[in-house]
Amino acid sequence: MPHSLYRPFRRSARTALPLLGLMLAGGAQAADDKLYLFNWTEYMDPAIIDAFEERYDVEVVQNYFNSQPEMLAKLNAGGVSQYDVIVPSNYYVPRLIETGLVQPLDKTKLSHLGNVMDTFQDPGYDPGGDYSVPYQWGTTGIIYNTDTFPDAPKSWSLLFDANENPDYPFAVAGDGQVTMGGACAYLGHGYDCTGLDAWREAAKLLIETKGRDTFSGFTDGTPALQQLSRGVVHAAMSFNGDYLAFKDEDPEGFANTAFMIPDEGAEMWVDTMMIPAEAPNSDLAHAFIDFLLEAEVGAQLSNYNYYASPNAAAEPYLDEVLTQPPVQPSDDDMQRLRFIPSLSGDELQVFQQLWSEVQAR
Amino acid sequence: MTRHGLHRGLRVFWWLTLLFLYLPLAVVVLYSFNASNSAAHFTGVSLRWYYRLMGNEALLAALGNSLLLAVVSSLIALLLGSLVGYGMFHHRWRRLGWLVVLIYLPLVLPDIVFGIAEMAFFVQVERLTGWLSPGLGTMVIAHVSFQIPFVALIVYSRLVGLDPSLFEAAKDLYASPWQRARHFLVPTLRPALISGAFLSFTLSLDDFVISFFTAGPESATLPIYIWGAIRKGVSPEINAIATLMIAAVVLVAVASLLLGRQRAGRG
Amino acid sequence: MSGPGVLAAPGGRRALGETRHLLLTVAPGVLWLLIFLVLPGIYLMGVAFMTNGPYGQPQMPLTLDAFERLAGYGILGWSPANLYTLLRSLAQTLIATLLVVAISYPLAYHISTAKARWRPVMLLALVVPSWTNQVIRTFGWMNLLAPGTPLAGLAESLNLIPSNMGLYPSNIAVTLGLVYNFLPFMVLPLYAAFEKLDISQVEAAQDLYASPLRTFRHAVFPQTLPGLLAGVVLVAIPAFGMYVVSELLGGGKHMLLGNLVARQFGGGANWPLGAAGAILMLLATFAGLYVMRRLGRRLGGGDEVVI
Repeated sequence: MPHSLYRPFRRSARTALPLLGLMLAGGAQAADDKLYLFNWTEYMDPAIIDAFEERYDVEVVQNYFNSQPEMLAKLNAGGVSQYDVIVPSNYYVPRLIETGLVQPLDKTKLSHLGNVMDTFQDPGYDPGGDYSVPYQWGTTGIIYNTDTFPDAPKSWSLLFDANENPDYPFAVAGDGQVTMGGACAYLGHGYDCTGLDAWREAAKLLIETKGRDTFSGFTDGTPALQQLSRGVVHAAMSFNGDYLAFKDEDPEGFANTAFMIPDEGAEMWVDTMMIPAEAPNSDLAHAFIDFLLEAEVGAQLSNYNYYASPNAAAEPYLDEVLTQPPVQPSDDDMQRLRFIPSLSGDELQVFQQLWSEVQAR
Repeated sequence: MTRHGLHRGLRVFWWLTLLFLYLPLAVVVLYSFNASNSAAHFTGVSLRWYYRLMGNEALLAALGNSLLLAVVSSLIALLLGSLVGYGMFHHRWRRLGWLVVLIYLPLVLPDIVFGIAEMAFFVQVERLTGWLSPGLGTMVIAHVSFQIPFVALIVYSRLVGLDPSLFEAAKDLYASPWQRARHFLVPTLRPALISGAFLSFTLSLDDFVISFFTAGPESATLPIYIWGAIRKGVSPEINAIATLMIAAVVLVAVASLLLGRQRAGRG
Repeated sequence: MSGPGVLAAPGGRRALGETRHLLLTVAPGVLWLLIFLVLPGIYLMGVAFMTNGPYGQPQMPLTLDAFERLAGYGILGWSPANLYTLLRSLAQTLIATLLVVAISYPLAYHISTAKARWRPVMLLALVVPSWTNQVIRTFGWMNLLAPGTPLAGLAESLNLIPSNMGLYPSNIAVTLGLVYNFLPFMVLPLYAAFEKLDISQVEAAQDLYASPLRTFRHAVFPQTLPGLLAGVVLVAIPAFGMYVVSELLGGGKHMLLGNLVARQFGGGANWPLGAAGAILMLLATFAGLYVMRRLGRRLGGGDEVVI
């Protein structure tokens, strides 16, 4: 009977055709009504996304990265035409601009640009603010267990001096420039040190540090918090806002912990919003950035993230915790905070050789 | 007496191995029911993380992507791979060195290099033709590429181990190659085909690095999502979704087992 | 055309049929691999000979810089860092593979001697954990090995580790993670080999040699060799390129080659160096395969050993 002979074929055709379409087209993308956001994990209030989706009748597709290098790698490999908004940190901004991976902003589409604080209107990493709009800013300091170190010094020595911490596991950050900065600061070269001599000395210190029995490993800021609460480490490097967010989520686990900015100097960073050079929907990207620049939305973002807002107009709406340390560092601490220098060319090569030496030894 | 001792020892060893294999999973399951947010202390039983899970669309989508990817890719790989394995065996007296090299290539490429190479290629093709933009399709292609050799090798190694006289007997028994394939090869190869399919499925669910580099904005798999979460600091939600995945895997396992039983009973 | 006679000859027709057969069976898979693997691979190999741009993108002109960097010559002169990394990777792979083999032999044997109806269940029990993702499994180990856990306490009381430190992150944790991840890949092919083991040979050997060790050496080992070598291929190669386990369980303390290569495509921002590292990995792997092939022949596996 031809009918029953035909049936299996029809069935397989029914499953095969969509599959074929799937394989050829990949996910259909770049639809007019979608915004592709490439952000750090858990760095965005879902309510903000909902509000934006509702106002513009669009869908926001979020993708996440865990480190700057990861984001750059993804952009370099095609992401440049897949994402509408990315959130790099200050010292990656010049690299993105120089490599042509991002497009200049059309400031006529950013009606709330005036809300940005004066300090961030003309930042060193992006003169004139032509390519980037600040998202949040914060600091990288030391987190530690206050039971283990009741008299912890306000100093990098908690990590780098074996006499200060002979017995308990500790970690340093996995991002080379962040950790080398700490070592430089401890050695008296300043957190934003550059140049072969300072770096070489810092690298030596780090190799020695790695050799200590109590060295736990290279752990980036956010996982370090988790490790601190579980006792995997008793001191590590982390970010002020994440520290507060974790503490708020799990007051018990973080009861005996503290965050401090070492007196030798530490990092201040700014995460920014940028638009990739071939963004599928740059109009919507501008709309999204402008949306986040609105006073109340900007405040909502900071209230959710526990990070300081670069949005001057947002100030009245900020939770009280955001106006005091450690979110808003004390004046003294502010004096000691530095941006990580953005490296390029030979300087970058030298740094990378030293850092890979530290990692491989 | 010594033989008895050996068997008892082996049984103990077997159970110890199972403990070794399941302990980490058990911990994940246990903490998914933890009432508190703490990852360090178990404070009581609660389902709150599962409730939170239901609202997390991205995570559920990632779960769906993972399963779809694993099923589709291992089916394609099973077909292509077993054909290659059989061809390699049947023509093993020919000069097939090039084929061997080709088959081993996916095995010797480190995940990370594999992923980067695929991604760069897909991006290039997409620029030229508009096809193969990163997404589930490109992930299926990449996964099949690393699954084929595993299936081929398992089938080949099974065939090599067979008594050559079996093939002669089959030739006498069945006239056409199709009959031979149906009544001799497939039944004989069934263990190899099953373990090939299992392995492909496993490899696909297991893969993180290659998926990561070939994924598009909307095709993140569970591992990609979870990796992000671990790097950011694990929330107990991850334990919950992992538990669901473990449960799903166990269900599939039991189902495949019962199915196999049924078929064996009938045959 | 040399006339119908040649084609009509039985041998000729047979050869033609055989070629068609070869094409029918092998071609689809081969084409897939050529297009979706070899082509991308060639492109990547090309990258190794390109110049590293200021931020890590490959550029023209062609150069051998990446290989010099890999050998340890950098802008600051020579350093043994990459050499350490390579040796560490080799050692870690070797240890993990040996452990996996040692665990898998008794397991595969045990399964093959179990009642037939239980064998699929047992195989399944071994494979099921690896159906869950390696990221999840590794995370489970992070929970188990952290300081303050019973396992870490035990190791501490046995003086295996310094106090307060826990078993993770450490090299031991990485080895454990590797063994855990790759165990099924060894047991499955070994079991397949055991399943078709000629038991009469083993019994004969038992009569002949009496000692279990010699029985194993003369009867069991040669017969299971194809499975073993297949298993070693399935275990050692991914272990050599491992990235996730060493990243999560090792704390990034001791870099392996996989991490070195991975970092060049990310933070290291040096694609040519990463591609050169990939070539080094391939060379090391090919060397390993060659040795194994020779070994297989010498140990009596004949030509019929996997490769």
